[in-house]
Amino acid sequence: MTLEFKSSEPLTLGVELELQLVNTRDYNLTRGASDLLAAVAKRKHPGDIKPEITESMIEISTSVCSSPEQVRAELDAMRAVLVEGAAKLNLGVAGGGTHPFQQWTERRIYDTPRFRHVSELYGYLAKQFTVFGQHVHIGVRSGDEAVRLTHALARYVPHFIALSASSPFAGGADTQFDSSRLNVVNAFPLAGFMPYVADWDEFEHYFGEMRAFGIVESMKDFYWDIRPKPEYGTIEIRVFDTPLTVARSAELAAYAQALAAAVRDDRSWSPHPSQYLVYSYNRFQACRFGFGATIVDPFTREHRLLADEIVAALSRVAPHAERLGGGEAVGRLLSAAAARANDAKVLREVLEKRGSLPDVVRAACAAWHGS
Amino acid sequence: MGDLAFLPNWPPLANQMIWVGVLLVAGVAGGELVQRVLRLPRITGYAAAGLALGPDGWGLIGRPLLEELVVFVDIAIGLVLFELGTRLDLAWLRRSPGLALMGVAESLGAAALVFVTLHWHFGHEPLVAAVAAAIAMSTSPAVLIRVAADLRAQGQVTERALILTAINGVIAFLALTVLIPWLHLEYRGGWLTILTQPLYLLAGSLVLATAAAQATLKLVQLVGKHAERQFIVVIGLVVLTVGAAVALKLSVLLTLLAMGAMVHNADRERHFMVVDSGNAGQLFYLLLFVITGARLDLGLVATAGAAGLAFVLVRFAGKALGVLAVAPFIGLNLRHAGLVALALTPMSGLAVVMVYETATLYPEVRASVAPVVLAAVVILELFGPVATQFAIRQAGEAGAGR
Repeated sequence: MTLEFKSSEPLTLGVELELQLVNTRDYNLTRGASDLLAAVAKRKHPGDIKPEITESMIEISTSVCSSPEQVRAELDAMRAVLVEGAAKLNLGVAGGGTHPFQQWTERRIYDTPRFRHVSELYGYLAKQFTVFGQHVHIGVRSGDEAVRLTHALARYVPHFIALSASSPFAGGADTQFDSSRLNVVNAFPLAGFMPYVADWDEFEHYFGEMRAFGIVESMKDFYWDIRPKPEYGTIEIRVFDTPLTVARSAELAAYAQALAAAVRDDRSWSPHPSQYLVYSYNRFQACRFGFGATIVDPFTREHRLLADEIVAALSRVAPHAERLGGGEAVGRLLSAAAARANDAKVLREVLEKRGSLPDVVRAACAAWHGS
Repeated sequence: MGDLAFLPNWPPLANQMIWVGVLLVAGVAGGELVQRVLRLPRITGYAAAGLALGPDGWGLIGRPLLEELVVFVDIAIGLVLFELGTRLDLAWLRRSPGLALMGVAESLGAAALVFVTLHWHFGHEPLVAAVAAAIAMSTSPAVLIRVAADLRAQGQVTERALILTAINGVIAFLALTVLIPWLHLEYRGGWLTILTQPLYLLAGSLVLATAAAQATLKLVQLVGKHAERQFIVVIGLVVLTVGAAVALKLSVLLTLLAMGAMVHNADRERHFMVVDSGNAGQLFYLLLFVITGARLDLGLVATAGAAGLAFVLVRFAGKALGVLAVAPFIGLNLRHAGLVALALTPMSGLAVVMVYETATLYPEVRASVAPVVLAAVVILELFGPVATQFAIRQAGEAGAGR
């Protein structure tokens, strides 16, 4: 069988956000998805609001957008609808890659066949997977382009991690990681990176083998950091923690889009398998130390400070962002990177100042609600 | 003989400590038994154990001892009311005013139907029927809080039932506060009392509550963000405030509820952590239910059972009407509205306290309408928690595992 890759308009954007639902009493995760979905069902908004695997999570996704500004506008509109619905139900909606103190044993699985299957297959991992990520889709013309872009963006995975990191706390403690969420993702057998394939034909061959082994049924079974999405005609970046604000979500999309534009223009670049020798190490560094990570360049063997790399890359792609309508967004990321300020830092500062993790979640709600 | 004087008498004289221990142990065992074998709420088992050991059961626990144990009931009810007050989330009511309206509607619905039934059908005098109607408005906060906690319930039916309980508690206490002086007029005369007593009760209770809430917030800041230590602060101040309210002849109910509400709503910086009825809290709930169970007067079911049952049924009908009437305005579907109404069924120790508070002042109440309310409490002590548990389960809001 073949995987048909549906062509789409290059550099179009789509953003999905997994969001936390908490009560406003002790700010623990709460069962609220079906009530909230019912409450907003009749409200008009762009994009889509839908349930996720547990009752404490909902997912919002934009339509296919042409610019980061449109992403921002759609996310803002959905945020307004959700915040209004949540206010009536006395719920809080928040970003952040993990809930700081929830116990995974308390989670309930949303009752659909797919989620029940996942829960049966993965056991406690399915409940531990109560982590919250942002996915960014970037449109590509063909499967070959998708493979090339997946390889090209793989070296920026540490950037995406450090810029979006918002999960310093898990299980009631500071994990010392800026993004502890990805440690949970790593437990899944098909996590990590796409194997080194040269083009779409090779990818299809690989997929066919995996299917023949009976390991996967569909692309959904791959939990890679970046994966081609043939039915949408996109590649999907999945390493981002859900940021504390929709503004940051749109900024990250702008950066990914600008990077993709730069790769499209740079025909001299081609993927090389040795980039994956350092992939897991660099990824770990970014999760653990955020902007302070030390990143290894597989070709020059240089060790560099991630913050410096990010600032350099953002400056490099700024003209592309400008052209695509994401100039301002990339500019804001640049100042954040220069100040080494990500959401993990914000959350740690709240704990320092207020003294308890419920206060941290309360601040996260206020940030996402926009008050 | 003298050489063996260190030995106890035979049979040994049981002291009160032993009986209190027996009551506690029997309560725990009864709760587990009822939960595991019958799948009923634990608190039904606590009350059943109390009833079995009490004067109307095997009589192991006599009335004099029960009178002494009332102090635990007072502390426990103080804690329950305080916790209920912290659930009176005014910010939520401002955002969803329909919910406040629902609280008023279901309270008035229950009161109206109970009044009409007791006055016209059972022929009670309007004033005492009104007292019973006021008591009928309130839902047992202890049952709701405990059943929800036991089921680890989360969701809109549970949350709304809890805040409605807080609202109907406030309305019931206010109604009683206003009614008591009229009883005074009816039976003793004196317009001055009618005007000044409610004023003293209301203003005095609020002043005391404000002081207690301020003290709580100050002390809580002092101990910092430690849930267990904050809980001890709460126990200390709740006991102190209950004592002060009694000494000043203020309304214990209103004072404690207002204190909790103020602690929650005045604490903008959120210094106060949630009073999660953890281990120590559960002990007070256990005591509350076993002692309330032991004090139940089964004889009332024989004498006032019919009126009690009528009271229970029309009270439920009134609450259901109120909830259903307002439900469309707050986006609550009919099924969930029905479940909310069902969850509001329990009546327990709090109603008993309200009856006794009025009956002590006005023995006329004791003779006429008190038996009806207490018979209703007997019925609801057993069925109320079951109704709440059923509603929460049906709403799909109960957590996995117990």
